[in-house]
Amino acid sequence: MPKQCPHCGKRSRFHRHRSRAMKPKLGLTNETKYSKRYGRGFKKDFNDHSIEHKIAFLGNPNVGKSSLFNILSGSHVHVGNWPGKTVEKKEGHFILSDEYFSLVDLPGAYSLSARSEEELVTRHFIVDEQPDLICVIADATRLERTLFIALQAMELTNNVAIIINMKDIAEKECINLDVGLLEEKLGVPVLYVCAYEDESIIRIKKFIYDSLHTKKYTFTPAIMMYSQKIEYMIQNISIQIADRKLLSEYPTRWVAFRILEGDRIVKDELAKEYDLADIENKIEKLAKEEQFDPAVEISKRKYGALHQIVYSAVSGYEDFKETTSDRIDKTLLHKSWGYLILIVIFAAFFLITFYASSPIITGIDWVFVQFSSWVLTSLESINSPAFLNSLLVNGVIAGIAAVLLFLPIIAIFYALIAILEDSGYLARSAYLMDKVMGKFGMQGSAFLSLIMGFGCNVAGVMATRTIKNKRERTTMIIANSFIPCAARLGVIAFLTGIFFQPWLAAIIMLLLYGVSILLVLLTGLIFKLFYESDDPLPLILELPEYRRPRFRSVMNLTWERTGIFLKKAGTFIFVASLVIWFLSNVPYVKPTENTVLLYVGMSPVIVTKVSIAEFLGRGLEAITIPLFGFSWKMVVPLIFGIPAKEVIISALSILYPGGITKVLWTIPQVISFLLFQLTYAPCFATIAVIKSETKSWKLTAVGFFYPLIVTSILTIIVFQIFSAIM
Amino acid sequence: MSQNDSLIDKPENAVATVKVIKAGFKAIRFLADLGIHEGEKIRIVKNDIGPVIVEVKGTRVAIGRGLAGKIEV
Ligand SMILES: Nc1nc2c(ncn2[C@@H]2O[C@H](COP(=O)(O)OP(=O)(O)OP(=O)(O)O)[C@@H](O)[C@H]2O)c(=O)[nH]1
Ligand SMILES: [Mg+2]
Repeated sequence: MPKQCPHCGKRSRFHRHRSRAMKPKLGLTNETKYSKRYGRGFKKDFNDHSIEHKIAFLGNPNVGKSSLFNILSGSHVHVGNWPGKTVEKKEGHFILSDEYFSLVDLPGAYSLSARSEEELVTRHFIVDEQPDLICVIADATRLERTLFIALQAMELTNNVAIIINMKDIAEKECINLDVGLLEEKLGVPVLYVCAYEDESIIRIKKFIYDSLHTKKYTFTPAIMMYSQKIEYMIQNISIQIADRKLLSEYPTRWVAFRILEGDRIVKDELAKEYDLADIENKIEKLAKEEQFDPAVEISKRKYGALHQIVYSAVSGYEDFKETTSDRIDKTLLHKSWGYLILIVIFAAFFLITFYASSPIITGIDWVFVQFSSWVLTSLESINSPAFLNSLLVNGVIAGIAAVLLFLPIIAIFYALIAILEDSGYLARSAYLMDKVMGKFGMQGSAFLSLIMGFGCNVAGVMATRTIKNKRERTTMIIANSFIPCAARLGVIAFLTGIFFQPWLAAIIMLLLYGVSILLVLLTGLIFKLFYESDDPLPLILELPEYRRPRFRSVMNLTWERTGIFLKKAGTFIFVASLVIWFLSNVPYVKPTENTVLLYVGMSPVIVTKVSIAEFLGRGLEAITIPLFGFSWKMVVPLIFGIPAKEVIISALSILYPGGITKVLWTIPQVISFLLFQLTYAPCFATIAVIKSETKSWKLTAVGFFYPLIVTSILTIIVFQIFSAIM
Repeated sequence: MSQNDSLIDKPENAVATVKVIKAGFKAIRFLADLGIHEGEKIRIVKNDIGPVIVEVKGTRVAIGRGLAGKIEV
């Protein structure tokens, strides 16, 4: 029986009663506490709804958890087709008859065994936060697989309800589902819906409400029985841990199973109280005698039981038949055509990103220039101090502009990724690239991060979350700096346009991209040598069926990711713009003949002609001229380019007021400069994300210095060779 | 059919029963969570170069070629 509320007998353990809810706790009123948790807007809601239920959405990747979550809570949440991509937990809520239902969208997981990062997040939440109701979302077209995790959840708690999604597809495929029979056999409430029907919203809300409130549904989850040997072992363990103090809130049987399966987290916790050596010996002996892995045996038994349940209640499954997706894959995953198509798709992808975003960027730029000059004239007309004007216009407004100028590329980039993801192609591209990446110690999933990096390294680093293996993930985080982002492409286009014929410029551009991909792959090899891997897991990737991308899914996905990017990189870019303004304008000097304006993003930084930059540049010349062929006027832009690569072009045009011409640089110098700027340092925003994703200062330092050292060595070699032969 | 055929020896569209998986315990457990364990019937959807795609429980799963070679059917 589920635990009941001592005050009103409701099934839910965590709802609040008005009288208690109003008492301030720890100096915080519930209002502030809750508005902290749910955002500002929450305050008003909460006053009216003092009973809170916590609902968790659990299920396999790609069953439609996020889609259902979105229609229920009306908020924008990640929806997509990349298996297991939601790594962060998402919260939302809905209100029904004056009660507050908070929803949590958990990352897709195949099991609750806490084997991957997503599963760990999911298990933690279910185990530690003890939601009032766990809604397991299943997919009607693949019930056996998607109900597996429901059986696991049912061993942990009684408060499980099952929502079977994708009714529309199942009906099209003539799959018939007997919901009543499933309910009876599984012993928990079951609902059958389609995420795209409007009436689903109220049906699900009512279903959740009824599950928590009425006696309409029963919660007597079917208890799985295992083979005699295993049951005996479970009894054995159960007796030993029966009166434990730790983990006492969980069913003894569940804890016993965790121990039998060798769950490290549970074992470590219990080891504080018990000496588990004896039990472990017994388990080992059992495994040897029976020649099985208890964990596998238990999974097998669950699948066996599910098979019977599903086949008694569902008709219409056609196993082992070629589907439309299979037929499409014959072409798209063909061993030679497949790669050709991949190249065409991603080439189109990049062209669209750059060409579609450039007019928007120009537009935004124009608006900001107009706006800045308008603000400036208005401020000057009211005689506000020049220092303040500069801070507002060149610091604050320019900072905002720097962020917004980035936005079109990122948004279009994410929208295209979302289309690829929602259609099911993205998982296929990982499949195709697995063979190529495998040669360099990485799996196909690393390919996604590589692609994203070409748009912006920040996005690339964030995309590494889909990589299961820790070593590979670290590799791709660090190696991302080698991928020339859109900003660096700008520099390449600018310089090759001056120095080379168009055809040669194109070849050089391709060669440079080749070099950077090579550096990424080499990094993979180097990390493979020096970085201990924790038992690498080979590629095991579910390939979703192809689907027509949904406008709503794509919009949600784009909106959400762009939002994350804005929060992470945007604030950083903005703050960095302000800092640069301060460093270069304090103490404030009025622009005179002897100063020049150097544009950092949009924000003009005043550099006196005899500036620190020149001083520094000339100091470095002693090293840079013989090694790299860089004069001080080439060094300074590179220094200014460290925080943001966009600066390089504007710095060059300041330092060469007459423009760069063929006579100013020799060809070896040009090659050397192009090569160096390509990979020498991640921008500040990328560094910030490297820190937040690795949570390690050491790796962040590696992320900065490793590209710098590698690029320096490479550039020196190339420059020396070129100056020797030319 | 020889005794030690693995997934990569099977032609496309063949249906086979998994006999034993001789891989690391992590991989074995992950596969078991997906329903790929001994005694399970699977269909080989694609097997040329690169990972092998199998159909199991109505879903398609790509398995790295190295690992596929350790799944005996
Ligand atoms: N036809 C149909 N498609 C659906 C339905 N529900 C979701 N989808 C689609 O299924 C895909 C996956 O949906 P998501 O909501 O991202 O699935 P998820 O469970 O959150 O996936 P992860 O976050 O990867 O675990 C998307 O392309 C949805 O548009 C449905 O009821 N019918
Ligand atoms: Mg999701």
